[in-house]
Parts: sequence; structure tokens; C-alpha cells
Amino acid sequence: MRLSVKNLSAFYGKKQILHDITFPDVDGGMVVGLLGPNASGKSTLMKCLSGEKKSKGNIIFDDDNLQEVGSKKWHEKVATMPQTPPAPTALTPTELMWSTARALALPYSDKELSRKIESIFNDLGLSDFQLDALHTLSGGKRQLIGLALAFIRDPELLLLDEPTSALDLRWRMIVLELVKNKVQQDGRVSIAALHDLDLAARYCDLLVLMKNGKVIASGPSEEVLIPENLARVYHVETEIDLSKPGYPRIDVVGAI
Amino acid sequence: MAHILRPIGMMQTSTLAIEFSRLTRRRVFILSGLLGALVLSLWLDILAGPSGLSAGQVIDGLINPQSLELRYKIILWDVRLPDALIAIVVGAALGLSGIETQTVLDNPLASPFTLGVSSAAVLGASVAIVLLPSVPFVPPAFILPVLALLGALSSSCLILIVVRLSGGARETVILFGIALVFLCNAIASGFHLIADADALQQVVFWTIGNLTKAGWLEVTIVTCCFLAIFPFSIKHVWLLTLLRGGEAHARSTGVDVSRLRTWVIIRSSILAAFAVCFVGTIGFIGLVGPHIARLLLGEDHRMLVPGAVLCSALILSIASGLSKTLIPGVIIPVGILTAVVGVPLFLFLLIQRRGRSS
Ligand SMILES: Nc1ncnc2c1ncn2[C@@H]1O[C@H](COP(=O)(O)OP(=O)(O)OP(=O)(O)O)[C@@H](O)[C@H]1O
Ligand SMILES: [Mg+2]
Repeated sequence: MRLSVKNLSAFYGKKQILHDITFPDVDGGMVVGLLGPNASGKSTLMKCLSGEKKSKGNIIFDDDNLQEVGSKKWHEKVATMPQTPPAPTALTPTELMWSTARALALPYSDKELSRKIESIFNDLGLSDFQLDALHTLSGGKRQLIGLALAFIRDPELLLLDEPTSALDLRWRMIVLELVKNKVQQDGRVSIAALHDLDLAARYCDLLVLMKNGKVIASGPSEEVLIPENLARVYHVETEIDLSKPGYPRIDVVGAI
Repeated sequence: MAHILRPIGMMQTSTLAIEFSRLTRRRVFILSGLLGALVLSLWLDILAGPSGLSAGQVIDGLINPQSLELRYKIILWDVRLPDALIAIVVGAALGLSGIETQTVLDNPLASPFTLGVSSAAVLGASVAIVLLPSVPFVPPAFILPVLALLGALSSSCLILIVVRLSGGARETVILFGIALVFLCNAIASGFHLIADADALQQVVFWTIGNLTKAGWLEVTIVTCCFLAIFPFSIKHVWLLTLLRGGEAHARSTGVDVSRLRTWVIIRSSILAAFAVCFVGTIGFIGLVGPHIARLLLGEDHRMLVPGAVLCSALILSIASGLSKTLIPGVIIPVGILTAVVGVPLFLFLLIQRRGRSS
């Protein structure tokens, strides 16, 4: 499995949001971290990759070119967790998972489906809430349900738009660990938009740093997360602590 | 590291399947209860009326119409049955279009009536009553529903055009619907100004909503329309449930939300147009029937769609029975009673639910 994104451009109306996005090819088993300040185009890029938004350029996954195969076939392989969590209605998480699976005609029997939903809820610590109305759940739990909805589809390409922004310290780690395990086990690919640079450095195999709809830097974390890049993109002054191998820490000293 | 990351609370037995199927069974049970109540209410509605048909006579007359005296046969087959049945099919139609509109517009106040369907029907009816009281060779009983239907259907077309032009944006559709309501009301008021007292009374009477003018033809037309549309609604129950998880979620799974919205709005406004053109604007049903169903059955549209149909049919059927029995010898227009029956029931359920959840 291999994802290749080349010369991707996208517009809202006449306004160009993404300019020639290109980043190194992503192989199976890799988690890509998409970084960048607010309004840099991360969500827009996610929507293009998921086929929800039309774009120009090449998105090739597993020999399929999104622009050619059409969105229906594309959606069989790709699942997105949008930045907005599920709406706080009286629906229960189980009903939402169930209807999503059925509306998309996922090939599970009722028994298999309920077992699958249960195991996903278990992994994400949602078992105690599975039959509660969504509007009674906390923001973080609803975000986890958004993640569960992407997991139920068992995608080959998993797109996560800020999957951990509402989560506490522990679940942030568990979620990324879970994503990494899933991706590594079956050689799949995941792209996660993140604001937490420490987490990104720790869990992602490839980082793509964006600003104003352009890729400023891409590559392994030690190449991307350097003070010059961060100053240029985020306008912050940083010190990077590499004393613990595998756990780089970015200290933000102040805004520039 | 791994031991810290293991989530707490694992290793439960497979309770989800059990609990979920228990919940589903309870909801099916509630649906059956509603169906039973509807049959009972239909029966009582057939029995209700001034001419003193006994239950035994009704049963005989239903099984073997020839066994009844001609007078009773006419009362049963040409008055009681069509009146009782039109209540149910109109209720069902309004309930179905109500629940679907509420879901696709994600707005608890939405109904085909907020899309202007009923106001346009009133406008059509006003034109019929005020401007065309008699057209040569056309029976007067025919003009009114046809013009009401034309009015309602043209409002559906307008809404459809707006949905297409706006790319299915929710707010635009709702705002345009409200604007359409005001526009139709304004034009209809113009006609009312020039109408004579007699015509004006007819318009008011029609606007209140009234089941007694309907016969078998009307029952058949509304039933066919309902039956033609219901399978599409059933086909969409999963999608509609998924949509309750939010538009972002639906779009991210590849659902074409704008297209779904367009389809649902077309079919529910057509259904509402047929429902109101014969009986007048019984608007409240399409709003409250679905909400009662929601309170009883939750948001799973597999249950909610049939539930909204049954609840709305039930309310209108009860109202129809009451309209004949509340004041002996007088038939109160059913449009007045739907609110009188529906609001207390609705309030009761709302308060009960609030009490349970807090
Ligand atoms: N529906 C829309 N219509 C017009 N412009 C939009 C729309 N959605 C996003 N944009 C614009 O596209 C640009 C990129 O937005 P995007 O949501 O992709 O940013 P982001 O990197 O995800 O930001 P955040 O970190 O705040 O989520 C912004 O300038 C935004 O104003
Ligand atoms: Mg975003």
C-alpha cells in the first residue's frame, strides 16, 4: 500500500486554498502527521484526500487515482474522522455506529457487527456510554465516538482531522498508540492533522508542515521540527530537547 | 509502557448485542402498541356519530354490507368509513413528511408547513373559492382540491429550485420556506378582502381543516401517494439515522447530503400537498406526531419513521372521533381538535421525559 500526493490544488469558490501540495510517498505502516497553524489548510487537505472535496492534481493510493476511480470506489478504502465530532443529538453511539455500518452496506452480519462495535468501544473506553444519548456525553467522549465511526469501516487509508484535540493526557496517548498499531499490523496508512508537536514527533513517521495552503517542510520529525521552521510557520521561538531518544520535546519559549 | 496504555474496563462479556436487541425489542413492542391503539381508535371512530349505529350493526355491515338497511349502509360505507380512513391516511402522510423534513433540515420546528406547502394550498383554495365559485361543466367539489393541490405542488417546485440553487444549504431552504409562507398568506389575504361573507366563511372553514368532505376517491388518492412514497423512506432509514450524527459525519462517509436533502424534500412536500388538498391544513400533526414518536422511540429511524407515521395517524384518528362525539349533534372541525388532543399529550411526554432524565 502506498499513498502518493502530487501537485494538489483546491479552491473555495475562486479563492485558492491549497497550492501545489506535494509530499514524499507514504508507504504502508506509516502514520503521517499534518502540522500547521489554524487556517493553514489541514482540514481542506483532509477533505480532498477523502474525496469529499474536489481538487486538482494527483492523489494515488494503491494504484487507484482518486480523480479517476470516482468517489464511491474511493470511499470503500478511505475513512475520515472529521474535525467536527458527531452532533449532540438523542441518538446513541451504538445506533450511530450501527446505522453508519448499514448505510454504507458494510459486509457484517448483525452478530459480527455488534461484536465489532463492542470491541471498538472497548478499545476507546466507550463501553459505559454505548447506549447513552450523544448529547449527554462529554466533548472528549464524542470525539472518541467520531474516531470509532472511522474505525468501524476498517479503512486502508485512515484520515484523522485533529483526533486528539479534546482528549485528556492519557487518551491522547492511547488513541495514537491504537492508530499506530492498526496501521503497522496490516500495513495501512494514516494521516493525522495535529496541533500537538510532541505527540506528532513521537508517533508519526513522516511530518508535513503547512502554512497558507503550502507545504513548508516534510520529512522525518528531526528534519521538520527545527526552530527555524517553527519560527517561520507558527511565529514562535522554540527550544528542542532531544536528550531522550524517541521522545523529542518542543519547548515553546515565546511568541515572536 | 504497554501496561499503562491498556484501557481499563476490558474483558466484559458481549453485553452490547444483548442490550441493543433488548432495546430494539422494546421499541418494536411500543410500535405494536401504537398500531393496536390505531386499530382501536379506527374502530371507535367508525362507531362515533349521531345516527346510532350499534357495534353489532357495524360488524355485520362491514362483513356483509347487504345485510344492513340501505340508510345505515350508506352511513357506514359512504360516511363513517371514508371519514375514519382519511383521518388515518392524512395523519400518516403528514407524520411521514414531518419526520423526514425535520431530519434532513436538522430542525425540530421544520415541517412541510414551514416550507410553505400549506400556505400555498390555502392560497390555491382561496382562489378556487373566491374567484372560481362556479366553472361551467366542472363540479365545484373538484375545483377546490385541484387548485389547493396545484398551489401546494408549485410551492414544492419553488422549494426544489431553491434547494438546487443553494446547493442544499439548510438555512436557505428554511428561510425561503418561511418567506414563502408570508408571501402566500399575503396574497391569500388579498383575495379574502374582495371575497363576500359566504366565500370568506368557506375559506376559513377550509383553512381550519375538516375530514367530513372526503370520500373513497380521496382516501384512495392519498393512500396511493403514501404507499408510493413510504418505500423510499424505508430505504433511507439508515441514511437518515446516520445524518442525525451530524452533517460533517455524513459527508465524511461519502453521503451526498445535498442530494439526499433534495430527494427527501421533494417527496415529503408532494406527500403533504396531497394530504392537505382534500382536508385543509391540519398542520400541527406533522410537527407533533414525529416529536411524540421521538420521545417514545428514540432517534433510530428504523423505528422512528414508522413510529411518526403511527403517532400522527393515531392523533388525527382520535381527534376525528372526538370531533363527532364531544358536542352531541355537532361536528367540530378536526383541525381544531388536533391541537387540543396533541398538545396535552405532547406536553405530558415532554415533562415526563424531562423528569426522567434529570
Ligand atoms: N467552507 C469554506 N468556504 C470558504 N473558505 C473556507 C471554507 N472552509 C475553509 N475555508 C478556508 O480555507 C482555509 C483553510 O481552512 P482549513 O479549515 O483547511 O484550516 P485548518 O488548517 O484545518 O485550520 P484549523 O487548525 O483551525 O482546523 C482558511 O483560510 C479558511 O478560511
Ligand atoms: Mg481544521
